[in-house]
Amino acid sequence: MTNLEKYNQAFIDNFNVSADKLSGLQYQGTELWDSVGHMTLVAALEDAFNIMMETDDIIDFSSYEKGKEILSTKYNVKF
Amino acid sequence: MARQLLITGCNRGIGRVAVGLFAEEGYDIICCIRGENPEFSKYAAELMRANHVKIEMIYCDMMDENAIMSAFKPLLEERRHIDVLINNAGIAAGSLLQMTPMSQLKEVFQVNFFSAVLVTQIVSRLMMRQRSGSIINMGSVAGLDNFSGYTSYGSSKAAVMSFTKIIARELAPYGIRVNAIAPGLTDTNMAKQMEAKAYDEMVSRTDMKRLGKPEEIANAMLFLASDRASFITGRIIRVDGGM
Repeated sequence: MTNLEKYNQAFIDNFNVSADKLSGLQYQGTELWDSVGHMTLVAALEDAFNIMMETDDIIDFSSYEKGKEILSTKYNVKF
Repeated sequence: MARQLLITGCNRGIGRVAVGLFAEEGYDIICCIRGENPEFSKYAAELMRANHVKIEMIYCDMMDENAIMSAFKPLLEERRHIDVLINNAGIAAGSLLQMTPMSQLKEVFQVNFFSAVLVTQIVSRLMMRQRSGSIINMGSVAGLDNFSGYTSYGSSKAAVMSFTKIIARELAPYGIRVNAIAPGLTDTNMAKQMEAKAYDEMVSRTDMKRLGKPEEIANAMLFLASDRASFITGRIIRVDGGM
């Protein structure tokens, strides 16, 4: 599984969305991506990439694209 | 594997006694104190030897948010297992409203409340991954009974206790219990800083007519940390000799 596939899978599993709906997806843009869902997503990504995210990054993680940017720039996850 | 305790503000007073008590119970301990302290390091070494436990130090000033982040970040990176967090760091201040400078209010809130929130934010991340943990915050009867002259200290402790109840609800789904202890006046240096009249009034208010002993507060910590308190969360436990 590539890193992008792992990243996408975390969204698909947690928010019950299809892959074609990921681009442009924003925090609170779908029913399951609420604050509780956000923490579940973070936990899933931390497990997938063996990282621990900092609080500021969890707060900044506002969209599918922003999350990729944070993971690649601050946690060395290559997409 | 021994249970792991992280405790802030523990080189004297209640925190120091708690370190001794938890060591006797077989806990490995991470002590967070402001700076290197040879006397405390010696005390910790004696506890390690006597109880066959590990005690390590984290140094940071609770006034400095960046220092806290830097000191605690390695715990996240190493994904340390922490069973119990005790937010014990605190400072006292007593003054009437009109004699309370904003600088004092901010300092007291920084150490007693904001630093505890920040440390809890970090450590609870680890506990959420573990899906277990016990967080114990230090409240105070001064934050419950609203004594005159406690604008800074009493308000900060009220904030701590409200925070305790709120995050107990947020963290319960992750198997994390959060409680606070509200000690009455306890026989520590903090008590000795009080004005004589206020001190006497405080003692006379208690049914037992005496100060609490640090170990009596630490015993409550030990109980809340343990599985004996496994169905207790979001509670403020008064340890005050009856008030």
